[in-house]
Amino acid sequence: MNFSRRGFLRIGMALGAAKALPMRALVPQSSEEPLFREAASTSCGIEWVHENAMSDNRYLPETLGPGCAFLDFDNDGWMDIYLVNSGPCDFWTPAKPVRNALYKNNRDGTFTDVTEKAGVAGGTFGMGVAVGDYDNDGWPDIFVTSYGRCILYKNNRNGTFSDVTEKAGVATPGWTTSAVWFDFDNDGLLDLFVCSFVDYGAKQKLACGDNQIGTHYYCIPRVFRGTSSFLYHNNGDGTFSEVSKGTDIARATGKGLGVVATDINNDGRVDLFVANDTVQNLLFVNRGPDASGKTRWEEIALQAEVAFSDNGQPRSGMGVDAGDLDNDGWQDLFVANVDQEMFSLYHNNKNETFNDMAHLHGVAQATRLLSGWGLKYFDYDNDGAVDLILANGHPDDMIGRYSRQVRYKEPLLLFHQGPDGKLKNVSSEGGTAFEKSFAARGLAIGDYDNDGAIDVLIATNGGAPVLLKNNAAKGNNWLGLRLEGVTCNRDAIGTRILWRAGGKLRQRLKNNGGSYLSSHDLREVLGIGAAAQLDELEIHWPAPSKRVDKFTGVAPNRYIHIIEEKGIV
Amino acid sequence: MGSRSASRLVVCVTRRLLYGFTFFALFVCLATGQTQRAPGEILKEAASLHRARQFQQAIEDYRLFLEKYPDVPSVRSDLGAALAGAGRYEEAIAEYKRALQLKPLPQVRLNLALAYYKSAKLSLAVPELKKVREEMPGDLRPLMLEADCYLRLGENKKVIELLTPVHQTNGDGLAIAYMLGTALVRDGQAERGQVLIGRILKNGDSAEARLLLGTTKLMVNDFAGALVDLQKAVELNPNLPEAYAYYGTALLSTGDQAGAQEAFEHALRDDPNNFDANLRMGLLLRKDEKYDEALKYIRHSLEIRPGDVGVRYQMASIELSVGQVEQARAHLESLVAEAPNFTEAHVSLATAYYREKRKADGDRERAIVEKLNAEKQANEKGVKSTQ
Repeated sequence: MNFSRRGFLRIGMALGAAKALPMRALVPQSSEEPLFREAASTSCGIEWVHENAMSDNRYLPETLGPGCAFLDFDNDGWMDIYLVNSGPCDFWTPAKPVRNALYKNNRDGTFTDVTEKAGVAGGTFGMGVAVGDYDNDGWPDIFVTSYGRCILYKNNRNGTFSDVTEKAGVATPGWTTSAVWFDFDNDGLLDLFVCSFVDYGAKQKLACGDNQIGTHYYCIPRVFRGTSSFLYHNNGDGTFSEVSKGTDIARATGKGLGVVATDINNDGRVDLFVANDTVQNLLFVNRGPDASGKTRWEEIALQAEVAFSDNGQPRSGMGVDAGDLDNDGWQDLFVANVDQEMFSLYHNNKNETFNDMAHLHGVAQATRLLSGWGLKYFDYDNDGAVDLILANGHPDDMIGRYSRQVRYKEPLLLFHQGPDGKLKNVSSEGGTAFEKSFAARGLAIGDYDNDGAIDVLIATNGGAPVLLKNNAAKGNNWLGLRLEGVTCNRDAIGTRILWRAGGKLRQRLKNNGGSYLSSHDLREVLGIGAAAQLDELEIHWPAPSKRVDKFTGVAPNRYIHIIEEKGIV
Repeated sequence: MGSRSASRLVVCVTRRLLYGFTFFALFVCLATGQTQRAPGEILKEAASLHRARQFQQAIEDYRLFLEKYPDVPSVRSDLGAALAGAGRYEEAIAEYKRALQLKPLPQVRLNLALAYYKSAKLSLAVPELKKVREEMPGDLRPLMLEADCYLRLGENKKVIELLTPVHQTNGDGLAIAYMLGTALVRDGQAERGQVLIGRILKNGDSAEARLLLGTTKLMVNDFAGALVDLQKAVELNPNLPEAYAYYGTALLSTGDQAGAQEAFEHALRDDPNNFDANLRMGLLLRKDEKYDEALKYIRHSLEIRPGDVGVRYQMASIELSVGQVEQARAHLESLVAEAPNFTEAHVSLATAYYREKRKADGDRERAIVEKLNAEKQANEKGVKSTQ
């Protein structure tokens, strides 16, 4: 890294004088509180419950949802919440209306359901959600994946949205799951990758059975044919073109459930890591434009050693994420699998290969009996080191009848990174939510109360969402960044952030996606522990500008808004 | 009961041979008429020590005698028996072989086969047992032992082939029914196996019947049901060979790894040459990345079933995991040549090539993996329509 002090002096801004965003942090919790406190629906106002449509036939889509998102749909600086629901489809007609939900943040720890007014109720058998400002107008748009028709909701900048799916050309067929917005060709516009799961049949729906207790059960997806995922290029005029044809993305058949957009080889181009269920994972490396100008994608998961288990077998990849766990400047990967397979924590060897270090960190041992979906690498206590949260639940609601130890509802897991760089399972300190079990699926992170401590939202199958307020970061200092691209994509996906505080240099790549079916607060919170300020801060904006903005002496414990080419505003 | 019968058979044969040789020893002793450590007296003392299971001293005495009379086949065979008693199977095998060169008695050959069996050299035991069967037609002991060897080698069809005619003529033999039933179940012929299980159950609830039932359920992936029967089997008879190995498998299949590991350890205390227990222990330890410990068990599995492709793959895969890429690659190349449809081996071979920067070779293996996976997907069954 070129992090010279001279550069700072030349470009640096006295951030002590910079204007912080007018946000009021909520009152800190007492030190006796556990790391996370579950916000009860009665107190936070989120009364929506997921309808999983569970039938006697046990159609597989019933057990895979839902996703959730933190987004600031009205640009008031406070994170709102979007929740995805099932809906009418070829195997289910709801007895009573079901819908997705948009909850507006009331800035006091409560939320108000504004779904109908906003016009984002869905209406398909929804799976996941990806939020991104695809038209660079400064207002987040919403893409909903589903079993059936996907929906792209364009933000009308007035608290309402319009369904522009057909017009935009993203009415993706089949059964889609996770999706991610990112700018693969660095043209400053967010493109869209959509995971496709399996070919679930056209007319006849498939169910597996009879099982040991004489009923149908949720099929292991092994029995369904895989499909290729979709890559939509943003044409810049509100439309998209599907551009995977002729690339490895179209050639690679998978059963995609999770995706993260990251840069695994630090070449400045965003790559894609896709977790597949019962078949090998896929790692699409972005090799940039070929002679014709078309982006070349090379699928390298097998040679990168992230495709199969070290026993040569495919696992049931579901949730996925990327993050620089060891702060070496290279993105490490994570995949959650089904019980007995253990989850994978892939350390980046800096040569487009990875080593599974899940055992070293105690993650493999802790996840032996669990099936993981939503997950996230994040620094929950703002000490500067990356931690990890895992949301779990077995896909088969009858598993407890066959298995002595595996259960349908499973506990959440929280890992803290210690000074030795190793993750430690601290779930027992997590609070009451970590003592419970859930049929967890989606997981999103976001600071809904703007106190600088990143909170967690978990969507459960057939249940109410779980909102976890973070108490763990108390006592540590932080700086929140809202990055706004000008020449690069407005959400600044692909930006690299470096900061020095208390003599420690840290860095982070602004990935997008990750987890399962879910979308996260786009702001970045930089933990600096006990340090009184950020001595140095660098923002490496992605192409096309590749501009580097440097700041010194940045006062902590607030959110700041940094615009490419303009600096702090 | 199959392996149990074999174990009983080992004891029985050993005793018979021992008594025979003891008689001979006494005869030699008397014939020589010597009193001070005369060969006859040495032999007498050796036999006495042998009976008292003081194998080391018996071995010394036998060897003392053989220094003077090296070509007495019965004493050499006795020495083999004492060595086998002391667990020194390699030496016992050498002595039995020399005894057979001197006089090819079927009993000695049976002893040799037993020594091979005990030392997990099952594939060497089999040809000796075939010869014994020819020499002792009508004797069920070598037949049962041979069948047990096949069972342990995983060659279930050979067990069925061997025992079906005998079962038809010895319909009351529960031991035969048990071993044949086990082979049928393991061969996937659950229906035929069930008939034999039914026969065994007519004799009342027994560990053997429960083991067979549990094994059958394991074969059809009814893990919870298998666990119930196998738990009952080990409760009814904790010493029933293979019961703990299968109980461990059922525990593993229902998610209880710690319980499974304990069960496999128990199985291996009873029978260190249990193939399944060795292999599964190795796999469990490998999963925990305890590669050195895992290798110990997996290597022994390979000793029990030399050439077993699955075990050889595990060895190569561990080599790859611990960075012995060249060694792993060589083993994997040989494996895929022998088993071209072994997808996991192709995956690992591709990985080895990529690590050796042999991209073209890695890409070739990757293409094979993709082709095999596509074929597997096309053949996937087990789905039925509900509408």
